[in-house]
Amino acid sequence: MGKYFRHLLDLYVQQFKTTFASMVQYRASLIIWTVSAVLEPLVYIIVWSTVSNGSGGSVGGYTARGFAAYYIALMIVNQATYTWIMYEYEYRVRQGYLSFALLRPVHPIHSDIADNLSSKLITLPLVLGVAAVLALFFHPAAGLQFWAALAFIPALVLAFFVRFLIEWTLALAAFWTTRVGAINQVYFVLMLFLSGQIAPLTLFPSWLQAAAFVLPFRWMLGFPVELLLGRLSPRQALEGLGMQAVWLGLSLLLIRFVWRRGVRVYAAVGA
Amino acid sequence: MPEPAIQLHDLCKTYLVPEREPGISAALRSLFKRRMKAVNAVDGLTFDLAPGEIVGFLGPNGAGKTTTLKMLSGLLHPTGGECRVLGHNPWKRERDFLRRITLVMGQRNQLVWDIPAADSFDLNRAIYRLPAADYRRTLDELTALLELGPLLKVPVRNLSLGERMKCEIAAALLHRPQVVFLDEPTIGLDVTMQRRIRAFLQEYNRRSGATVLLTSHYMADVEALCKRVIVIHHGRLLFDGDLSGLVQQFSTHKTIVVQLEDCAADLHAYGELIDCEDGRFTLRVPKAETARVTERLLADLPVIDLLVEDPPIEEVIDRVFTQEAEKS
Amino acid sequence: MRLLRLFAVFFRVSLLNEAAYRVNFFVQLFQSLLELGTALAGLAVVFSYTSSLGGWTPDEMLALVGVFFLVGGIIALIIQPGMSALIDAVRDGTLDFTLTKPEDAQLLVSIQRVAVWSLIDLLMGLGVLAAALVRLGERIGPGQVLGFLGMLAAGSVIVYSFWLILASLSFWFVRVENLLEIFRSMYEAGRWPISLYPGWLRFALTFVVPVAFATTIPAEALTGRLGAATLLGSVAAALALFLLARLILRLGLRRYSGASA
Repeated sequence: MGKYFRHLLDLYVQQFKTTFASMVQYRASLIIWTVSAVLEPLVYIIVWSTVSNGSGGSVGGYTARGFAAYYIALMIVNQATYTWIMYEYEYRVRQGYLSFALLRPVHPIHSDIADNLSSKLITLPLVLGVAAVLALFFHPAAGLQFWAALAFIPALVLAFFVRFLIEWTLALAAFWTTRVGAINQVYFVLMLFLSGQIAPLTLFPSWLQAAAFVLPFRWMLGFPVELLLGRLSPRQALEGLGMQAVWLGLSLLLIRFVWRRGVRVYAAVGA
Repeated sequence: MPEPAIQLHDLCKTYLVPEREPGISAALRSLFKRRMKAVNAVDGLTFDLAPGEIVGFLGPNGAGKTTTLKMLSGLLHPTGGECRVLGHNPWKRERDFLRRITLVMGQRNQLVWDIPAADSFDLNRAIYRLPAADYRRTLDELTALLELGPLLKVPVRNLSLGERMKCEIAAALLHRPQVVFLDEPTIGLDVTMQRRIRAFLQEYNRRSGATVLLTSHYMADVEALCKRVIVIHHGRLLFDGDLSGLVQQFSTHKTIVVQLEDCAADLHAYGELIDCEDGRFTLRVPKAETARVTERLLADLPVIDLLVEDPPIEEVIDRVFTQEAEKS
Repeated sequence: MRLLRLFAVFFRVSLLNEAAYRVNFFVQLFQSLLELGTALAGLAVVFSYTSSLGGWTPDEMLALVGVFFLVGGIIALIIQPGMSALIDAVRDGTLDFTLTKPEDAQLLVSIQRVAVWSLIDLLMGLGVLAAALVRLGERIGPGQVLGFLGMLAAGSVIVYSFWLILASLSFWFVRVENLLEIFRSMYEAGRWPISLYPGWLRFALTFVVPVAFATTIPAEALTGRLGAATLLGSVAAALALFLLARLILRLGLRRYSGASA
């Protein structure tokens, strides 16, 4: 058992080295990536600040500075939990590289997680830098609380796993169809509105907020943000962690089911 | 004498190539100052092609063949010397000039990948402004000569390499150019397809009187198509003339094929043994010794049959290049 | 005229090309509608809390969304595919084929590829614009429509020239595709009127990456916000940038053919 974990650790370390090397090669793309990374929160902060300033100083419980805090925190949490795995699998299935992954004795999800985390380690300083610059410009304000900051850690970890597992399962759609573009887009739109990406969920009508409670999207992204900014009561925080656990369990079941079916389909069609 | 279709005089092309030693300190140094080395891809080429000639352009990789072809089609600016094609200066890229030439590259396709070749042809028709009747006529002729019939409606990516090449050649000839540049057109094709394309080029040249300059690695291409051969190496002209003249000038050996009862005999004393099969010995002897060795063989051994041959042209060319390489 | 005929031929080839992939028209339509729905929903959320965003009313914002999709459609239809193809052709040497053709090289590389399905986005943008115009009603006079068309044309020329300059950089540098990505991310900022943004960002979106000319300025023309200075400035910028782009392409081609500088 210990040997298995040591192998796994070795795998993660090797993957980190590989990812690091290839990212250094693509320095220019990192710069471009930073530009997009800063633009998104910037635009949202400006738009919502304009709205709140023009509406008596705040909307939906957020002032301009509150929005600044929200989007900066969102950017950081998104950085921690986002994946690009659905593009990877579309590419791998199309090129037939998946055969290599299937031949390895380790479940392919491990190298994917390793690659994901390694890339993020490298882009983390960039994101923190962007966050610092945005903070300088927009003076975020939030009601940080100690217990919330503590609860934030498990919330973030759970969010990462729920999001990774669900998006990994989504990526497997590439086994069945080439039209993954449309499927991904539907997913992204749902994420946009139901996870708190486009605006804090409290700004939406109650029916949408109810849907967001039941669906997994808020638990992947918005919930840790709200928690960190001190906008949740302890009871709400506990409920949230509970929902995250539920969705973790559901997504594990989903992934086993879809993976097994997917491998069968892939093997049937031929590599 | 008619005006030559292609004229080169002292044509040169020099590239500046960055040069760097391996290792980290050299890599760091190269960030600040780059050392450049001048490479003479083409070094003072001079020759003329009369209209309607088919000429083979031979040389090993890196000899400067493709570079020369690119200069002649206006794709590359020479560093020195001059050339004229159909009276035009190629790199001025005048419309009139471009309408009368064509370039076929064996390793690159101009056909659009996912659609039938016929639709790519249509594209060329529009670009070259070919009148409908002329276009039809040319297309029919090319279809017949190249046996394109069933291929035209198939997406190019579904064609075999040879079929694709035939369509590429057709696309390049739709506008009935007077000068045809072919850069390794038969590369990677099977023997049958190579033969078909050679036959086509010969027929096309006969019918249209177009001047054809063709580079190739395959001696068979050159042997089948070209009376005249230009050999270059390191960008310099090595030979310009008849194929047989090439063998005459450069081959230093001859091949003697002797048929005996079996392969038991030891013929070391007579010449270099290349091969023996079923009593059929292949020997290599210096040209000057040929008569003497033949005499001795006939006198000393129970010869069933004897044949004196020129070495295969590949071998001749090979030796020419090795000699040149040893010289430089 | 000749340009249109050539374009028609390339369009047909591109259409056949895309049909070869059996790209499903309905899937594309679905995706475009989804994008439009998202944009409109975003607007709805914003305007549920205010009646004017930096001076722009909901109907005027609708017009801006229409322009965003319209110009986005134009870029995706003919600008981006051709410029991507140019970068590829420089890299793998198939540019040689283009250069041996008896036609202006800039023309050929610009229309060589058409992403036919982006017509959907273009038409969608027009539809949204039409809806916005209906709602804005009598406030739109012929002068504004003319100004709009002029700024749309100028904006398209500016964006095209900008992309051509970036693509031409591939004659000197590798991996220029990344630069094109910057335009795409910054174009997102064009969803909102650039007057909302702080000065330095407005500057960047106008003079560094010309997103303002693509979306805000035509929308301003339509909604009667455009001053004569901006109008003339756009036209001048379009002309200047076009000439500059043509020059840089020429220089790039000379470098490609190894002509001494």
